[in-house]
Amino acid sequence: MRALCWEGRNTVEVENVPDPKILNPRDAIVRITSTAICGSDLHLVDGYVPTMKKGDVLGHEFMGEVVEVGSGVSNLQVGDRVVVPFPIACGACLACEREQYSVCENTNPNARLAEKLWGFPTAGVFGYSHLTGGYAGGQAEYARVPFADVGPIKLENGFSDEQVLFLSDIFPTGYQAAETCDLRGGEVVAIWGAGPVGQLAAASARLLGAERVIVIDRFEYRLRVAEQNTGAETLDYEEVDRVPEALKELTGGRGPDACIDAVGLEAHHHGPLYAYDRVKQAMRQETERPFALRESIISCRPGGVVSVIGVYGGLVDKFPMGAVMNKGLTIRSGQCHVHRYLRPLLERVQNGEIDPSFIVTHRLPLDDAPQGYELFKNKEDDCLKVVLTP
Amino acid sequence: MATHAIRTRDKDTLARFLGWFSLGLGTAQLLAPKTMCRLVGASGDGLSRHVMRAMGVREATQGIGILTRPRPTTWVWARVAGDALDLSLLGLTAARGNAKRAAFGIVNVVAVTVPDVYEARHLSRKHGPVRGAMHVRKAVTINLPREHVEQAWAACAQELRERLLDAGATVSFTPAPRHGTELAVDLTQDPPAGDLGGAVPKLTGKDLATQLADDLRRFKQLVETGEIARSDATPDGHLLAEHLKQRPAQPVEEVPR
Repeated sequence: MRALCWEGRNTVEVENVPDPKILNPRDAIVRITSTAICGSDLHLVDGYVPTMKKGDVLGHEFMGEVVEVGSGVSNLQVGDRVVVPFPIACGACLACEREQYSVCENTNPNARLAEKLWGFPTAGVFGYSHLTGGYAGGQAEYARVPFADVGPIKLENGFSDEQVLFLSDIFPTGYQAAETCDLRGGEVVAIWGAGPVGQLAAASARLLGAERVIVIDRFEYRLRVAEQNTGAETLDYEEVDRVPEALKELTGGRGPDACIDAVGLEAHHHGPLYAYDRVKQAMRQETERPFALRESIISCRPGGVVSVIGVYGGLVDKFPMGAVMNKGLTIRSGQCHVHRYLRPLLERVQNGEIDPSFIVTHRLPLDDAPQGYELFKNKEDDCLKVVLTP
Repeated sequence: MATHAIRTRDKDTLARFLGWFSLGLGTAQLLAPKTMCRLVGASGDGLSRHVMRAMGVREATQGIGILTRPRPTTWVWARVAGDALDLSLLGLTAARGNAKRAAFGIVNVVAVTVPDVYEARHLSRKHGPVRGAMHVRKAVTINLPREHVEQAWAACAQELRERLLDAGATVSFTPAPRHGTELAVDLTQDPPAGDLGGAVPKLTGKDLATQLADDLRRFKQLVETGEIARSDATPDGHLLAEHLKQRPAQPVEEVPR
């Protein structure tokens, strides 16, 4: 089959690889009908996430049709149309029982690697380095889905692929970011990053009762999408001196009740601190450039919540712990526990409360995936989200 | 996976001092044989330099032996024998060359021979088991009631149980909070070549403790989910020994076993 493979830093190619096979009774094989490039794929392609190997099949946002099921899968049948969550969860361990699916205790066959880095292993993830298991990804014609009786959600109504594809990752991810802000109605939420996750976090915050949502970015086209589709206000950080001051001004001196970092480890900014982070990152003295994280902590009102949904992998520097402690902030974080949100969010799509497909800007055949990566990475042609069809 | 390792060692500061002393002296003899020769009145040319180097190898080996063995009785006796050899070589040097310097050497060797003999006799008199091995505990919590876990252990972990029995390990099941069960294995490890000898299998994931960690992780997967998690990079499931030679995360040609 054809699949997009990581060939080295900043190089991806579509190659012929073997077709996936059933390896375990609870596996299923899915013929992929739509798959997307995620912002976190860019961290892998850039080489910022360690343990990538030449030939790894990328992609963790995908959906399609079941073409084969293992003997242990009774809830799916050949021909079923499914969306597959990006974390692989067993459904039986304590983490799964607590609905913390992205930290499933059983699905990462490289648990020892992750344990060394983070103290504990996390769940296996499709196409997301060997640290999260070394599973082949879904930017391909077919994918093997382990624990298929736990993860995939069956679609029974006539949704278009683009309406439901993002249930696999970024919609629940954005939703979780907003949900963990403890919104009770009437809050001001500031969101760093108007990428796909930031957009869907903004839309989710509105759904969950936030009165005002302020999205911060520097790309005018992305801010425009947020304004038009999520009802958010926008702030171009290149047009203000200091974001925390600008946010204070926008909120009558109070500051946002909740701040969402939807940027992660490759933040961009201007000034000496940015140069400092770039140098330290280049010299491997820190693994992240946590500018958005620092700014969201400083900007948040005392007693508020900082929700970190942007991806981080290792160590950050100049972390304003004093602000966290003295302002009594609550920090929430985590890879999304997608399984928890699949059904409720599908219902919201069905009820017409939201149509996440507003973020799609580019549709390409799988063979043009390398070009899709270039567009997305360099933010060319007003690229916000690339959907690939195998 | 919880891993806990406790080193229980005979507390013997004199033996450790002698170990470090041997290693230090041996290193000096190996790296600067000429200077060391002159210090004890030998010429430092030709044969004497080679002899000095050979003595350096001997000293360093004894040092490593003393430092890595939990009760290094033999190694300290080897030091006593070494002292005798040193004294006779120094006697030879005194007869042939600079007697004053050789006498200085002899005084120093005697000064260390006294604690060597004392320590060797002290260690020889010690009885009881050697307290130098590593006590290792590996534990996992399985999200199922105790009876269920014990039954599964009896039913499906035969090979593992036999290996643990051979290694003299003890296995215990304790109820964990909620309805889980903590499965813990305690074992004592004392690799024949000491810590250094144990380091190589540990690095390659082939020591018993690491294999045990792999086995417990796989047992937990099997009992909780009914299967061993396999990815495309590690189609055989979690085995630390295989971590370094993983295949790329792309589908396998052949379904393994």
